[in-house]
Order: sequence, then structure tokens, then C-alpha cells
Amino acid sequence: MVMRPVPWQTGEICGPDSAKSLTKAAVLKRDLSKAKSPLLIVGSEAATEKHGKGDMVDYAIALSEAGKMPIIATGGAIKAFIEKGFEGAKSMGAMEVAFRLQDPEWKGPNGKGPHDLIFIYGIPYYMQWTLLSGVMNFGTHITAITLGRYYQPHAKWSFPNMKEKAYHSALDEILELVRGGK
Amino acid sequence: MLWGLSPRTGTERSMKKKAYFKADEADTGLGKFKGLEVRIGTIVDDEWDEPMGPTPMPDPTGLRAWDHKLLARYQPSYMPYCQVCCLCTFGKCDLSGDKRGACGIDMKGQQARIVLAAANIGCAAHLAHARHLVDHLIEEFGPRTELIQGPGTEIHAPVSRLVTGMRPRTLEDAAIIVDYCETQLAHTLSATHTGQEGSWLDFESKVLHAGMIDQVGMEIADLVQISTLGFPKADPEAPLVQSGIGMMDTNKAIILTIGHNIVPAAAITDYITEKKLGGQVEVGGMCCTAWDITRRDPSAKVIGPISWQLRYIRSGKADVVVVDEQCIRTDVVREAQKVKSPVISTCDKAVMGLPDRTEDTVDSIVDELVSFKIPGAFIHDHHKVGEVATKVALALKPKRRKMKFFPSKKKIQKMAEECKKCSECIRACPNDQPVMEAVLAAQLGNFEPLRDVYQSCIGCARCESACPNDFDLHSWMVVAAEADCKDETYMVRTGRGAIQDIEIRNVGQPIVFGEIPGVIAHVGCANYPQGGKDVHDMAEEFAKRRYIIVTSGCAAVSAGHVRDENGQSIYERRSGDFDAGGVLNVGSCVSNPHIAGAAIKIAAIFAKRNLRGNYAEIADYIHNRVGAVGISWGAMSQKAASIASGFWRLGVPVIVGPHGSKYRRMLLGKAEDERAWTVYDARTGDRVLTAPAPEHLFYAAETVAEANVMTAKLVLRPNDTGKGRSIKLSHYIDIHEKYYGFFPDDVWRYIRRDSDIPITLKDKILAQMKENNWKERKIIDPTLLKEQVMGGGS
Repeated sequence: MVMRPVPWQTGEICGPDSAKSLTKAAVLKRDLSKAKSPLLIVGSEAATEKHGKGDMVDYAIALSEAGKMPIIATGGAIKAFIEKGFEGAKSMGAMEVAFRLQDPEWKGPNGKGPHDLIFIYGIPYYMQWTLLSGVMNFGTHITAITLGRYYQPHAKWSFPNMKEKAYHSALDEILELVRGGK
Repeated sequence: MLWGLSPRTGTERSMKKKAYFKADEADTGLGKFKGLEVRIGTIVDDEWDEPMGPTPMPDPTGLRAWDHKLLARYQPSYMPYCQVCCLCTFGKCDLSGDKRGACGIDMKGQQARIVLAAANIGCAAHLAHARHLVDHLIEEFGPRTELIQGPGTEIHAPVSRLVTGMRPRTLEDAAIIVDYCETQLAHTLSATHTGQEGSWLDFESKVLHAGMIDQVGMEIADLVQISTLGFPKADPEAPLVQSGIGMMDTNKAIILTIGHNIVPAAAITDYITEKKLGGQVEVGGMCCTAWDITRRDPSAKVIGPISWQLRYIRSGKADVVVVDEQCIRTDVVREAQKVKSPVISTCDKAVMGLPDRTEDTVDSIVDELVSFKIPGAFIHDHHKVGEVATKVALALKPKRRKMKFFPSKKKIQKMAEECKKCSECIRACPNDQPVMEAVLAAQLGNFEPLRDVYQSCIGCARCESACPNDFDLHSWMVVAAEADCKDETYMVRTGRGAIQDIEIRNVGQPIVFGEIPGVIAHVGCANYPQGGKDVHDMAEEFAKRRYIIVTSGCAAVSAGHVRDENGQSIYERRSGDFDAGGVLNVGSCVSNPHIAGAAIKIAAIFAKRNLRGNYAEIADYIHNRVGAVGISWGAMSQKAASIASGFWRLGVPVIVGPHGSKYRRMLLGKAEDERAWTVYDARTGDRVLTAPAPEHLFYAAETVAEANVMTAKLVLRPNDTGKGRSIKLSHYIDIHEKYYGFFPDDVWRYIRRDSDIPITLKDKILAQMKENNWKERKIIDPTLLKEQVMGGGS
């Protein structure tokens, strides 16, 4: 298992800027305390990724409730939220999200933006890579934190290709941090 | 009427062609001549009474105003693949943040420049193909050979008419059109040079120009081959042909052809026919050559799409591999050598490092190839290719059938024990397939996980390149899926070519009014995120809803590679007519303009619009009225980029699969931006708000679910009648509920008046309309062009 902060897909190297390694939840404290309006973006793979006794859709619901942040579900992930009886998610395409996040005036899925921080995971690796590139280069008002297991160089913070057990622990720590208030 | 040879532009240029004739003796009204030779600069096509439109043979800025209208509505959303520019020795230049490069370019400009480079490359590939075909066919058949698209295609070559103002009626006309295209490509390519274009907007306009030129070049390529090589001519009942690895008869010698250019492959099937060797040799194709050889000779076979190359070469079943151009694996010689298959390269664009044996005798080339003295040969004489390939295949078949090329499962199990568990195979896989876990299962003799990976594998073999043990992982997958490979036996309908005028007459009105809910084209490459079955499933989802489904290229192969419970492919169970519920394969990559052509012909036949040199008006018509959507689920290449660009300029939206996000630029609308969706009412000149339809022009979907929902939405058009809008919305809502699990919250935006509301869903929609303070709107005659307003908009 690769532990260095290098892109998970070997060819997906980037330019001069790259994400900081998110090895413990505490490093996010400052960005979370500064954020006025966070947004959670969850892709289609979340429904099939396990976490604890549930899946990464359950994790999204917990994180959303903990941080009072709206959820955008991409690629049809919305169906999994609805099936779980959660109504706080809105459906958008990943490419639409990438476009809108470049606009500092965009009010977000519930009209309560503009958003200044995003959590993101569950979109196919390479597609999330491109989405985050759009954000890094043209949505500079956004602090991007990826919560997928693999290193995404275009975020501000990303896990460094984590081992599975450590990854899930880190997710729980982040949930606790968000729950702990800002 | 005669014109001189002085340089001309626009209208004049579009009408001219050079004429030349020679006679040893001529008895004319003017007298008797010996050794007569006459050269005329240009002749005007006086017989065509359609008035010339405003933009025949436009240069790169000729349609800039139209492009800017599209780009104002559908803004580029860039997602850079890299933050630096390394195209000149000023660089590398860091373009991150708000930095500019040494030449002055910024990040947006650079991204648009790269998009233009891709469109140029794609356009060049098709155009060079067209040039080769035209020159070759002129040599074979003469310049005055007539171009015939087929019965019922009075409006033949609609794209060429629209763009150039010419009706190409002979191969000589085709050559003039290719001349024009080559000039345009030189201009758009030159714009990417350091210190040329600087504005992202104008780079993007040139992307659309390159795409339009690509459409013309492809149309000419297909028109000339249809006219001369015995292809189906606009035939809804084009033959069903055998397809799939399991269809190849290994009792015969097998010639594998790969690429896009029919000429060498046709020479092979012609030679086999002439020598009556069909009982001993068979020819199978991959990628678009597969379609074109079966269009010429239905006894040839379509082995599979582009991504099947490696698995078939490695199977060792091909006794000789013949490559022409485009989408060939560049390591084809290396791979074929491993299984002792000689390679014959035939095209100057893809020589593959092989020795040139064009001038040698057939027997000497055959001797060298059969004895493996050389791994292959470059033969730039297609007649010779036909004979050499057949003789080599026949000579090698007896020896090669005794050889085994794939390792046994037992051997794989043993080798798998050496796996270092480094995950590099997974990290290299474009689709993040669990290759390592599958190898670890194989250690224990469980080959099912490797078999599962095969189903989603695109055959790139990056896993092997990354493996520190140099395991042939792709071959292992094929061994694990041996039974599946044998079971790949399908009947697919080969390319029919153009859509007949009569078909357009029958469906033009229901399409424009929205009663046939849409025309959906599945085109392009096979870089699928989860296998080719997705293409079939998407096509079937909409065909059963009575949309018209058109296919081409590798997507057309994948659509046919699924059997229903009766053992039938989608082509067997559905009509090949351009009609509701039909699934029709137009052919290879260069057949794509028949799809654009159908939309263009709707404007000509149903709305009686002039096509000749009248691009913006017709594009505006299509954009506002024809509910067409292109889908390239496995889009991979620069050619796919240029094909898409050609559709964008016509105002037709294109959806790509998730890998398409790597084209690094989408063209997206904002549904709530009323200014973007305000158009002219051509009857009154009033500026009127319409629905956001189509909402996007270029869109990468993450999943099949998303692609289906987006497709149903993108067929909506401002001109839909009440009944048509209501039908389209019914499907959109149903598909949305099926794949997303809830009633879409934007239906109200598409309701103009009561008649638009699907009757069975009235209560829900009325509630949504009330919630959003909906206001009734007129159903107008929509146009983005002021000059289309009655009276000229003054």
C-alpha cells in the first residue's frame, strides 16, 4: 500500500500546487473554524463503500447533520439518500458542481451559499480529480477537503492513500471534529 | 459561365472547379482540331438554382458571431489537466493562480488552446483519411466518377452543401471540398502556435470551426467510399453480419484488420473473392475498418471495438495482422511478434517501424514474413497487400494452430503466488478495477474475480506495464474469461450510410413538434467505465420509449454485443429505419455526418430552408427545434473531440462518459440565468424567455443513471408543441424517478402553458408551478438570430 502523498492513479500528476496530507483530523481545525458555509459533495460510489456498520452515504448523512451542511449528491447518488429516508440532499451533476463552484456568487443547492468550504468524496477518482482541478484553478475562494481514501492532489487537504483501517478511523475523527462545533 | 484563375473568396470560390480536357482529334462547330488541349479555370454550377447563402466556405472567423452566441449561453467550464504550459522553450511556464506564461497566455486561454489542439488533431485524422480516399478513388475510377449517396437521397451531402455551398457530384468536386477543408485546418492549427490567438473565446470559436470542417471531411470520406466501393446506400436493411470473438472460424486462416481506412482491407476481401478462397480464409475487423469491410463484403466479420485489439492479438488466432490508420495499438508489432503473427502496415501515417517492402515481389515478401525473418512489412500498395496478407495467412495457419499462446490456469495460479501485493496494477487501471485482489484469488485457484475484471476491462494493459513482475495480467483475464470470449457471438447490422429524404419526410414533423421525443446518437470510442453493455442498455432504454437511436463506430459494435432472452441483438429485434423505436447503424467514424445530415435535412425538407452556404440559420433551426443528443460513452480520442465539436456548432448537445471529463472543458448552461434563455420570436421580433433547453452543450456524466436522466432532458427544445413537450416531459419525469428515485424539481421551468403538462402528472406539476411562482409563456417561433425575424429584424 502506497503511503506517500502521490496521486492514487499513477498518471494523474498535477502542476506546482498539490494538496496537503491529511493524516489526522486536528489539522482541519483552523479551516473548519474559519468556514462560514461548508458544503458536502457525495458521488455515486458512496453507496457501495462501506464505513462502520453502514456505508459512506450514512457517513454523509451523519456529517451533514453534525456540521449543518447541505449535501449535493452527484451521478444519481441521490437515490441512496432517498432510500434511507434522508431528504436534505440535492441532486446535481459533478460537472455542474465543478462549474458552479468556480462562481464566488453561487448560492449553492439550498440558496444559502456562497459556500467557502467543501468536503467531497465518492466520485470516480479521475472525475473528482478534474472537478477539483477546476476548483483549485478557478474557484480559489473555496477550501477543498477530500474525504476519499486516496490522494487527490487538487484539494487543499487530502488523505495520503490511506490503509483501510486508518482511513475509517480518520473519518470518524473528522466526524467528531465537525460535531464538536466550530 | 467561365471564371478566370484570379484568387477569389467566399461565394465565387464555392462555385468554381477546374476543368481540363484533351482530344487527339475533335470535330466541332468551330472547326476540326488535332492535339486539342483545353484548360478552363473555373466553371460555375449553373444547374443548381438554390440561392447561395451568406457563408459559403467560411474562414475561421466566418461564423464567429454564431459561435459567440452559443458560447455566451454555454460557457466553458475548464478543469486543467496541468497547471503548466510546456509547448515552447520559454517554458515550462507556471500558469497557476493568476499567473501568465512568458508569451502572455493565461490558464483559461491555455486550456482553450489545448482543446483546439485536440480538435485539430482529430480533424486532421479524418481529413487525411478523406484525402487519401479521394486521391485513391480518382486514380482508380477517374475524376468524373459520380457520387451517389443512395436512392431517396436527393439532398445528398447535406453537410457539404451547408458549409461549402457546393453539391459534390463527382470525385473531382470532392477533391475541391477537401482542398477547402485542408486550408481551414491549416488556419485553425496555426492558431495554436505560440503568440497567435490569445482569447479563450476565440480559441473556442476555432474549436467549433475545426469541428465543422471535420464534419465536412468525414462526409466526403464516406460519400466517396459509398459511391465507389459497393457499400449499402442509405439502406435501412443493410445486412446483418457476424460479430464477436466467438464468431471467428479458426478452421480457416484468419486475417485481422485494424483501423479505419477500407482501402487495404477491401483489397484483401477482393483478392479472396477473386481467387475463390472464402472457404479457406476469413477476414475480421476491429474498430471502424470492421464496419467498412462488412459494408463492402458482408461475409467479413466485426470482431469487436478498439479495446478488443490486445485480447484478440494475444489469442494468437490472427494469422496475420493488417493495420491501416487511426486507433491502432502502437505496440501492435511487439504484441503480434509474441504470438508469431506478422504485421502488415499499409498507411504512411502508421508505418510502425516496419521495413518498406512496397517495391518487392509478392513472393519475396511472403517468404520473409512466413519465415519470420522480419516481424512485418510496410506495403504501400494495397493490391499487393491483398495478395500478401492472404498468402501469408494461408501459409502460417497450419503451423500456428498447433501453437498455444495463453498460459494455462495452472501456470497462472503458480505465477500469481509471486504477486508482491504492491497495488500498482490497480493504481494504473483507468477504471480502478480490483486487479490485485483478482490475482490474489487466482493464487487459490479462484478465477472468477479475474473473469469479472475482464467484463469491465478496456484492454489498455496499463496494469501490466505497472506490474513489477511483468505479469501478462490482461492475458490472465482473457484466460479466466475464455468461455465468455467463445460466447461472444452476435449479429449486428452493418452501416447503412445516409438517411433517406423520404424517411426525413415521414418523421420531420413529429421530431420538430416533439412527438417523436428525440434522436439519440451513440457514437465514438470504447473507453467505457464499466464495459460496453452500458451502451446497449442506454440505447434500449430510449428505443423502447420510441426515440430514434442512431449508432456509429465502436459504440455501434458495443450496442450490438448484448443478446436478449431470445438470443437476439438490438439490431435483430429493432428496425433499421430512421423512425420511432428504430436502431440504425450508419457505419464507421466517417459516417457520423449522416447523423448531422439527418438534422440538417429536417430543416431543408420539413421547413423548406435553403442549405446552400447557410450555416448559421440551419444551426439555429436545429438548436431550437430538433431534439437530437449525441452520446459518446467511451469517448477517448481527439477524433471524438472533433466529432463532438462539429455537433456543438450545429447546436446539438453531446454527453460523454466520466472519462470524458478529461477533455478538461465542459460547455454548460445555467438554468436560472434568464438572459441566457431569452430568444427572439421570429414572428414578432420580441425578446421572449424560453425554457433552458437544451440546458448544456457538452456534459460528462458520472453514471449511466445520470446520462439517461440528462439525455431525456437535453432533447427538450424551445419549439416543441404542447403535445410534444408533454410527451418529452413524461419521459423525463419517468426516467428521473426510475434512476434518481424522485420527481424532478425543475419540471415547472419547461411548462409554457397548460397544454405542456403531462395529463397524468398534472397535480404534482401544478403544485410545483405554484411553488415557483410560474407564469404562463407564449409558444413562439424561436431563434437566436435577429436576422431571422420576419422582415429582417430591423
